[in-house]
Amino acid sequence: MKNSFSKTWQTLFSVALIALSTTIFYLLRDYLNTTIVALLYLIPIGVITGLGGLVAGVTSAVLSFFTLNYFFIQPYYTLSVHQPADLVVLTVFLIVAVVLSQLMGRTQSSLAAANAREQEATQLYELSVALTGLNDESAIAQTLAKQVLSLTNAEYVEVKLATDSFGLPEKVLPNRNADLQIPIQTIKNVLGEILLWRAEPVITSGEKRLIQTFASQTALALERAKFAQSESRAKVLEESDKLKSAILSSVSHELRTPLSTIKAASSSLRSNEISWDSPARVELISAIDDEADHLNLLVGNLLDMSRIEAGVLKPKREWNLLAEIVNGVLERMKYFAEEHKIEVNVSEDLPLVPVDYVQMEQVFTNLLSNSLKYAPEKTVVRISAKVDGDTLHVTLSNQGPQVPSEDLERIFDKFYRVTAADKVTGTGLGLSICKGIIEAHGGKIWAENLANGFAFNFTIPLLLDGKPAPKLPLDSEME
Amino acid sequence: MNNAPHILVIDDEPQILRALRTILTEKEFKVSIANRGEEGLNIAATQTPDVIILDLGLPDMDGVEVCKRLREWTQVPIIVLSARDNEKDKVSALDNGADDYLTKPFGIEELLARVRVSLRHSVQKQGTQSKIVKAGDLTIDLVWHIVKRGDEEIKLTGTEYKLLAYLASNHGRILTHQSILSHVWGEADADHTEYLRVYMRQLRKKLEENPERPKYVVTEPGIGYRFLADE
Repeated sequence: MKNSFSKTWQTLFSVALIALSTTIFYLLRDYLNTTIVALLYLIPIGVITGLGGLVAGVTSAVLSFFTLNYFFIQPYYTLSVHQPADLVVLTVFLIVAVVLSQLMGRTQSSLAAANAREQEATQLYELSVALTGLNDESAIAQTLAKQVLSLTNAEYVEVKLATDSFGLPEKVLPNRNADLQIPIQTIKNVLGEILLWRAEPVITSGEKRLIQTFASQTALALERAKFAQSESRAKVLEESDKLKSAILSSVSHELRTPLSTIKAASSSLRSNEISWDSPARVELISAIDDEADHLNLLVGNLLDMSRIEAGVLKPKREWNLLAEIVNGVLERMKYFAEEHKIEVNVSEDLPLVPVDYVQMEQVFTNLLSNSLKYAPEKTVVRISAKVDGDTLHVTLSNQGPQVPSEDLERIFDKFYRVTAADKVTGTGLGLSICKGIIEAHGGKIWAENLANGFAFNFTIPLLLDGKPAPKLPLDSEME
Repeated sequence: MNNAPHILVIDDEPQILRALRTILTEKEFKVSIANRGEEGLNIAATQTPDVIILDLGLPDMDGVEVCKRLREWTQVPIIVLSARDNEKDKVSALDNGADDYLTKPFGIEELLARVRVSLRHSVQKQGTQSKIVKAGDLTIDLVWHIVKRGDEEIKLTGTEYKLLAYLASNHGRILTHQSILSHVWGEADADHTEYLRVYMRQLRKKLEENPERPKYVVTEPGIGYRFLADE
């Protein structure tokens, strides 16, 4: 009831001001002539119009017309006029006062309207800024509810969308139907609705209109979010499509090579053309065995890669000894490393590292086999690790050929090879799997050229959930 | 042929069944096969095999579930087969009663070695367990708690001995991190793999000639440890 309350006060104020002016003029009546009083009356009328608007202005003009006539035009204390000049003064006064208050009142109300429009525009702008860049429905619902609440001072605002609904403030859902219900819709379909509870003061048509504008803004934002989502889905699909065709082309070649060997060897063993005791038989059998292992490795790499691509490679991070992992890998790869000299500088006194044992083994296996493949025989491959603050820094260096500096990053890409694919065997996936694993551990991996060789580097954070390696309980029963 | 050890293979892939039946029969085992978990449980109950080879990926029920159901009434050794990257499934099967695992694809030598270890343990469960375990020049006396290399006694701390004794008395078998931790340190510490890593390093330093290339206590990546004794 704020509006009508102030109207009463306005009326009282107008009457009081006219009465006050009349009193002052009355005291000065002997010194002023009628025309001057009429002019002086224009001051309070102007003030009232300025404060109270058109209606108050015109009312006070008419009121002044009567007081002027009653108190200041002879004969005093009647509403009759004897002098024709006074009649002119009165008539002119009435016209001037009414026109003045009308002019001022109109300016006033158009100013108020402009202010309201500006405020609406500001609120709309704030909403659209807040909605910009929001790509999920619940964030949009939340933003809209907040804006509507701060706009209307409602008891409760609820934004209902197809998949989500959000209400503000928390836990105050009123026990009655909403006072205002506005759909959020596009031309094609309804996406949701805004529910508003506010009994007092009654929601004005201006507020309703503004909330409707909010609703259409929100509808636009929702559509935009939908488009953005489907676009990113499309991108993912396109990426995975690219990956698939890359896999198909590289893999069909890689898979067929061992399969051809196996098929050739097994069919010739079956054909009875090879005698049971010939050395060729042993040769063929070991070829089948080796190629089966190779095929298994290839399939494993493809599985890992698809897991990394799908973002489901979750390391099971536990406290491990790096030396145990490295030694295990060296033990298993000793037959491949016979032609090289491997130097290990991984101290047993390094702190425990929070890594997935199996995945970290794979990183070392892939990096080591890559180094062994490219470094010339009889050269040194060095594995070293050092602690750098909260980070473990591992380096695998070799005396192999350098890689052109523009390729240093790309060697970690899928199926990327510096050398032509038919010159070196492998899947073209080993290094990208390393990258996937290291990044899943929160570390970084990179390659660099050395003065006389090449090195892989990677880092692993030494904190697990923000905590360093735990202290061990003391072995109390020392014998 | 009647005294030949009886092996039950539960797997749904016909090619694997064919290969295993051929090879195991050739090695003079008696072989039964089952395509489904339920069928396998029935055969296990009616024919009491000496070893069960169980694939974890069965069409009708989870392999881990088969382990649990078997363990409700029998201690027959179970060797599980699984694809390469299911460490979680393997550990879960081992913690639910399986004795050992093999990763597909596997070599037949590996399979036969596992079967032999399992058969020996099933004999030991019935009869007396060996009180002295020998591995290379190591001798572990589980009765008197004495560990020797040649004639020289190796001094171990209490925890180190407990760890070694648990591994050695189950030699040839894989023990999961969790089972070692709860056995040596207690259930409350069963997820502190860091204890295990650190004590294993100490133990290897005392036992192994070259602790960086352990011969006696070998790491099973992502699963646990295995003590290798003389056959």
